[in-house]
Amino acid sequence: MELNQLWQSALAELEIQISRPNFLTWLKNSQLIKKDEDGRAVIGLANSFAKEWVENKYHKIVFEVLRSLDETIKKIEYTVLVEQKEAFKESLNKKAESFRQSSLPELKIDPESGLHPKHSLDSFVVGSSNELAYAAALAVVKNVGKKYNPLFVYGGTGLGKTHLIQAAGNEIKNRYKNKIKVKYVPSEKFVNDVVWAIRNKRMEDIKNKYRNIDVLIIDDIQFIGGKERSEEEFFHTFNVLHENNKQIIISSDRPPAAIPTLEERLRSRFEGGMIADITYPDYEMRFAIIKTKLQEKNVALSDEICELIANKVQRNIRELEGILNKIIFYQEVKNIEPTLKVIEEIINNIVQQSSKNITSNQIVKAVADFYEITVNDLIDRSRKKGVVEPRQITAFLLRDLINMSYPDIGEKIGKRDHTTAIYAYEKISQEINKNQKLNQKIILIKESIYKN
Amino acid sequence: MKIIILKNNLKVGLEAISRVVGENTNTTLPILKNFLIETIDNKIKLSATNLELAITSFIPGKVVEKGGLTIPFNIFNSIINNLQTERINLEVKDNNLIIKTDNYQAKIQGTKKEEFPIIPQINKNKLFFKIPISLFKKSLLSLAPAAQISEIRPELNGILFNFQLNFLKLVATDSFRLAEKNITNNQFESDLKQGFKVIIPLKTTQEIIRIFKEDENKLDVYFDQNQVFLKTENLEIISRLINGEFPDYQAIIPQSFETEIILKKEEVINALKLTGSFTDKLNEIKIIIKEKAKNIEIQSSNQTIGENQYLIPAKIKGQPLEIVFNWRFLLEGIKTLDSEDVFIGLNGDNKPALIKSPADISYFYILMPIKSA
Repeated sequence: MELNQLWQSALAELEIQISRPNFLTWLKNSQLIKKDEDGRAVIGLANSFAKEWVENKYHKIVFEVLRSLDETIKKIEYTVLVEQKEAFKESLNKKAESFRQSSLPELKIDPESGLHPKHSLDSFVVGSSNELAYAAALAVVKNVGKKYNPLFVYGGTGLGKTHLIQAAGNEIKNRYKNKIKVKYVPSEKFVNDVVWAIRNKRMEDIKNKYRNIDVLIIDDIQFIGGKERSEEEFFHTFNVLHENNKQIIISSDRPPAAIPTLEERLRSRFEGGMIADITYPDYEMRFAIIKTKLQEKNVALSDEICELIANKVQRNIRELEGILNKIIFYQEVKNIEPTLKVIEEIINNIVQQSSKNITSNQIVKAVADFYEITVNDLIDRSRKKGVVEPRQITAFLLRDLINMSYPDIGEKIGKRDHTTAIYAYEKISQEINKNQKLNQKIILIKESIYKN
Repeated sequence: MKIIILKNNLKVGLEAISRVVGENTNTTLPILKNFLIETIDNKIKLSATNLELAITSFIPGKVVEKGGLTIPFNIFNSIINNLQTERINLEVKDNNLIIKTDNYQAKIQGTKKEEFPIIPQINKNKLFFKIPISLFKKSLLSLAPAAQISEIRPELNGILFNFQLNFLKLVATDSFRLAEKNITNNQFESDLKQGFKVIIPLKTTQEIIRIFKEDENKLDVYFDQNQVFLKTENLEIISRLINGEFPDYQAIIPQSFETEIILKKEEVINALKLTGSFTDKLNEIKIIIKEKAKNIEIQSSNQTIGENQYLIPAKIKGQPLEIVFNWRFLLEGIKTLDSEDVFIGLNGDNKPALIKSPADISYFYILMPIKSA
């Protein structure tokens, strides 16, 4: 008979012989842990009080009941189960704090796996820009180590790479009830570990630490490039894990081929699994993300406001969250729903913070560089094919980023009429919500502007 | 059983076990509302448990006849508290306890002592150390502000005992703040050959603080895998430990600061209390640190009351800063320091602040600010 079955039938009999309160107090959550060949049975009890009690008071009946079910049992030992984790039932007074009181960030991280529990697959909004990566992550969760190994996810900052790979880790942990050991490390931490180990001559520790896990998740792998010892150590770890069918999940801000300092042998290994990219979210997805975030924070905002935010904030989801936080703050403090004008102000404040030092020349130059044309081509009066789109984008950005007046914009893009500028701005504004490619181009141009 | 006991001695013993039995929420087993009184050699032993922790206190008394019985705690306790006479006679007859003084007599129904849970023992050869009670209590008290039930990882609502051969680190956190106390090995005795980490439930540490009196000299502490046992001559606590891993908090401790201020402790406490009275439920106060200034400004406002500002002389180093805190959290951290001056280290308005005595490296308190808009 199986241990569990045997114990369940024993408990059923014991329940008849012992009063209900006593049964609940002492034998609840007990387990038959093992049964040796020589007839020794070990029973695990919920706490040391229960162990003392059962050992001293119920030993005889427990023994008799077990014997009647299984004659091979000759001896019983008792022990305390260690798994119980719950704190005291009688909880102390819990104070409610304002949600704006920040908590110490790292405390939420599970020390064993390094995963943050807030990242879950449920809260990951899926759209056209990330569905491939999402599907690959799901497949990995279902077939750990077998389907796509390694899984390589790449995409720009603030688009949800870390969210996705951590969520995959959390899902694996929960689904397999901790039977699969998951470890999440930012590559920076990996490098630090290696440096520490070299200095302290403890390379063995590193080998043990990283090779005894079932799922290794490395975030921002691009930082490992060029650090030779770390790359080498990672290479060996990678091989050991991969050979043993352990799952490896990697994220980066660019595809393996575009990490310049990465050694060839590592690159070819990364490319041997599944490579999935996450691109910029389109309007619908941004809208969905706002809705999800609001639900998480348990706050309601009107659709009109959400639309406005989704429209205005395109660059990155992290920034979007920052703006949402501000709006919620406003709502909490003033106790009224903010008007569209206020929202616009809030968004502009944030955008302006980053665009404070941008000049019109910088924008023109960034667009020209992006399309690989000269600045003169762009601001020329020519109607050459291929400069129309860049010119319209320039007009759009001049208006959007530094709020230049239409006549000035017209002046800037080749001494044109202000109506041309208005037309260009409005055309692009509408287009970016429909045309994903164009939207991405603009985002890339903006990124290059902000970088300088 | 037949004993004669002085009321004050009995009161001390009952007080020690009162919380465990009096606030017991385990209702499945009625006998847990009882405590056990029995004679041990020439002493009287009182025990109570909620099956998570057990407290035993030994009190002096004259033992005429040996024995023991369990009796409902609340009724017995209120009788003893209301008695006027000094000497009390206690006698057990057929599972009844008879209380007798010169002018009062009562009979309480008890349950025989065999029904009472057996209090677990700990192998006394295992993991042992000895520490002065005053130091131990003071250390636990200094962690008290951060030792609150937190929503994050609620299974870990305990104090970390990180025991290494050359130090003992005690750590508590409620996720908004974190406090660490470091006790060096010249302050305790131990026969430990290797370090270990355990988490002691908050409820147990509260009882430790409450029941051990400072006149008792040293505390013996034993650990095994599941339990901690603390004892003095007259008191014993055994409690289970929390099996779990304490969060890795090292990364939170700021190593350097963009802004450093040093202030007089009394002055800050006063300022916080005063400005604190202007705040609403959110308890928000703002600290304004200006470059090259000789003062910092603490201000608070309330839509229905008004606003106020308080200037405190301070030594300021580094970047100017405006930062918002929950003044109660700040005050609690500062109050636990026993120096004249207070050091506060800051890194911008959304990173944790570190509070300590300027000269003391054995203790620090980390506090998260309130998000400013």
